[in-house]
Amino acid sequence: METTNTTTEQPIPLPLDVVVIDDEETFTEGCRQTLEIGGYRSAVARSGHQGLDLVQATHPSVVLVDLKMPGMSGLEVLTHLATAAPLVVPIVVTGHGTVDSAVESMKVGAFDLLTKPFEPEKLLESVRRGISLSVLRKAATEPAAQQEVEAVRAAPQTKNDVVLQGLGMLGEAYSLGLDKREVLDELSYLESEAKYHAQSLGQIKKKERAILDIRNELLEADSIMEKYDFQKSALIQVLLDVQEKFHWIPRHIIHWISARLNVTAAEIHTIVNFYEAFSLEPRGKHCVQVCTGTACHVRGAQEMLLRVSAVLGIEPGQTDCQQQFTLETVHCLGCCALAPVVQIDKDYFHQPSKNRLARIVKSLNQEEGITCRD
Amino acid sequence: MQRLRTPADVAALKKRVLLERGAKPFWVTVCTGTGCCAYGAEGLADCFQKEIEERGLGHTVGLRRTGCHGFCERGPLVVIQPKGICYLGAKEKDVPLILDKSVLGNGAVESLLYLDEQTGKRVRRAEDIPFYKYQKRILLENNVLVDAASILDYVAVDGYSALAKALTEMSPEAVLDEVKKADLRGRGGAGFPAGVKWETTRRVPGIPKYVVVNGDEGDPGAYMDRSLLEGNPHSVLEGLILGAYAIGASQGYIYVRQEYPMACKHAQRALEQAREYGLLGKDILGSGFSFDVKIHRGAGAFVSGESTALMNAIEGHVGEPRPKYIHTSEKGLWGKPTCLNNVETWANVPFIINRGADWFRSMGTRSSKGTKIFSLVGRVKNSGLVEVPMGITLRDIVFKIGGGVPKGKKFKAVQTGGPSGGVLPESLLDLPVDFDKLDEAGSMMGSGGMIVMDEDTCMVDTARYYVNFLAHESCGKCVPCREGLRQMLNILDRITAGEGREGDIELLEELSEFMEMASLCALGRTAPNPVRSTIRYFREEYEAHIHEKRCPAGVCAALIAYEIDPEKCTSACGACARACAVDAIQKIDDTYAIVQEKCIKCGSCYTACPDKFQAVLKLPASAVLRPTPIPVPQMETRV
Repeated sequence: METTNTTTEQPIPLPLDVVVIDDEETFTEGCRQTLEIGGYRSAVARSGHQGLDLVQATHPSVVLVDLKMPGMSGLEVLTHLATAAPLVVPIVVTGHGTVDSAVESMKVGAFDLLTKPFEPEKLLESVRRGISLSVLRKAATEPAAQQEVEAVRAAPQTKNDVVLQGLGMLGEAYSLGLDKREVLDELSYLESEAKYHAQSLGQIKKKERAILDIRNELLEADSIMEKYDFQKSALIQVLLDVQEKFHWIPRHIIHWISARLNVTAAEIHTIVNFYEAFSLEPRGKHCVQVCTGTACHVRGAQEMLLRVSAVLGIEPGQTDCQQQFTLETVHCLGCCALAPVVQIDKDYFHQPSKNRLARIVKSLNQEEGITCRD
Repeated sequence: MQRLRTPADVAALKKRVLLERGAKPFWVTVCTGTGCCAYGAEGLADCFQKEIEERGLGHTVGLRRTGCHGFCERGPLVVIQPKGICYLGAKEKDVPLILDKSVLGNGAVESLLYLDEQTGKRVRRAEDIPFYKYQKRILLENNVLVDAASILDYVAVDGYSALAKALTEMSPEAVLDEVKKADLRGRGGAGFPAGVKWETTRRVPGIPKYVVVNGDEGDPGAYMDRSLLEGNPHSVLEGLILGAYAIGASQGYIYVRQEYPMACKHAQRALEQAREYGLLGKDILGSGFSFDVKIHRGAGAFVSGESTALMNAIEGHVGEPRPKYIHTSEKGLWGKPTCLNNVETWANVPFIINRGADWFRSMGTRSSKGTKIFSLVGRVKNSGLVEVPMGITLRDIVFKIGGGVPKGKKFKAVQTGGPSGGVLPESLLDLPVDFDKLDEAGSMMGSGGMIVMDEDTCMVDTARYYVNFLAHESCGKCVPCREGLRQMLNILDRITAGEGREGDIELLEELSEFMEMASLCALGRTAPNPVRSTIRYFREEYEAHIHEKRCPAGVCAALIAYEIDPEKCTSACGACARACAVDAIQKIDDTYAIVQEKCIKCGSCYTACPDKFQAVLKLPASAVLRPTPIPVPQMETRV
């Protein structure tokens, strides 16, 4: 092991901030002085082995390593550091700043890369950030923090929290003012990953709820089919009950019925399309049916339809954006003597005026706690 | 509740019910048909209930919620029995007075009685109101006496006595013969003799046989099936059981439109009650005859009322018709002999069995016997359900029973037979109404819709209305109906939009002829009827639309416009502006004016303008002046 006196002669101020490992004396001396001016306590090692021993002995925050050294190379030092002293933040210094060496060193845990020659300010800045990171790393290994991490690991349901915590840390890292492109890219990539996972976690929860809903709906469809003994011939009756229950015929229910009653989905679609009573789109909570039977027609159903349409703000066949009202025309409600007639849910109205309609709409909206437009 | 085991039990039950009912000398009957319910009949009945209880009249006054009485226009209807006092349009506040005067006292609340406009006198009894006086109510009569929720009410009016009679005294053949002898024709539209249908179904080998009630009342403008199923479902059921007995069927179906939720509910309850009493199920009344019935709800398709389509629907398929090379009475539901009749047809059967074929034949004309229920609606004073003997003239129905056209307007036509029927003009008012006479006049009986039209009804628009309806309802299986209707609709759309062309009428006629020849089912074959009959009797209206771009009745929106006459608008009350749904009416100085660009021509202002002003005018679109453009200021030039 090759050692030099300069480092060992001087007393090492503890605790150390930085250990500089390089075989070039001019460089180490320069660094030491710069760091001293910057207010950091530092020590110098002339080779990889010596540096590693020094790190083990002094537990500095940051290690400054030259990549090209006789004996143990910088990369080897980094590899050892990763296992022997994982809390230390290594900053790599190199005389020939190639992309390859940068990538390699980043892979084995380098926090930053400085290319010789560099301005003293640059070194100080990098060390400052390295020390901040080291503080974070040390904080994470505190017994309390350790327990927290363990607890998070033990409870997989709080994965979301872990991701959020990670996001928080990323935020801190950002606040450290990292300006290295690669790191920034990496960080933003990690951030987007984290966000994605957080989002997909949310989506998974949503999906889980949706699946539960669908399961309940299928169970309800089952109970409807049970009423008809799962008879194929009761298909239309089953669909009518489904329509009444859900106000539309959802796709998954079509497939479910198809499987349970052993009819093709195509046949169900034919029926659903054929009959007026069925809807393949969700309808509003309240159904407004304007009778366009002949008796109503000759007593002005078309004019009334225009009026109802204007009050509700939707055209026949449409549902409003709050999913409250669906406006439909129906061929005959069988109340011809009251013509023209509108049916709103179960109630029949004989030629309601604009104001009456507006009142009805308002009161139905209020039931739902929705404040309506004037 | 006791299960009836022998036919004699029915008579015993009736006796017991009458004895129990006899304890209450007065009955307040409130019509809770769909029409009256829209006028708040349920609340009124609740109010009667409360008042009777509060006054401690429970042991002398009974309350009955019944099905439709027919005079829906003037609902809610209240009848005090046994006095027969009929109140129209009673409100909840009138309840104490009605009880005071007509139940406890001997008078009546005059203001709620029918006012005979000709004599100026109030009419107390229902039978004396012209609307009821000229009817012959047989099927509808019991609607006033029966609470649809109570099988006992039905038994009290001789219900199920025809079934008891048939099961004790008559063989199935005898029942069949009686119906055949009565010459009962199907009330659903075509008028096919029911007895013949029954006989075929009975004769053709094949087990099981089915009987079906067709309650898919798709005709817009007809609602007698609804009223029967809602008001007196047991009468239909009894007819069906009798038919099943005569035919030898073991399973029945009642097909009801889902648009009639109350009818579905009442029919379902009737089935349950009949089962409880042993009138359905195994070994009915100890006769060894077993029969049961299921309800099938239709899902809203006019064509599903066609017999083959209806059967497809019951089997769980799409309700599309198939060619009828073989009648359904031979191969119907699941390929088995099936007898399908309309609600009203089945409801006639118990009466024929009880009172005999000769009694039934005593009503009506040579080719059409019995009575028929019509829904007399549209532009007529007294609209509602009317039951009249076959052979009565249109004039009697529209003017004597219906009281003519309101607001002094001029009668124009009456439409019968729904979308398959046609219009009958004033010149045919003395036509006796029966199956064949209506056919000859280019219309048809149909299920009994009778829509009165006055001078404010546009005939081209009416034809367009029906064609639009049919084009929408056509199942699309055969080309002549699908494409024919589409083309017809295109042409009529153009005419009503003021873009009619020379030769359009002839084209419509040609299309009609072709569709009638080539369509697969009755829907397509009869679809041109509304167009043909309107062209036949009102050709000049088509011509006015095409040549003059004018709608004589002022209906077709593209050809009319509304305007406020500033001279007539003397008070500027603003009723029109408040009624306008799109804020197209603005106040300018001390009068109102319509912004034509905003106007959707809904006519709200036209109806809202008080009669004393009549300031809102309906004009041909071409006559309405465009708002005068703001004049461009011009520099005066000095010479």
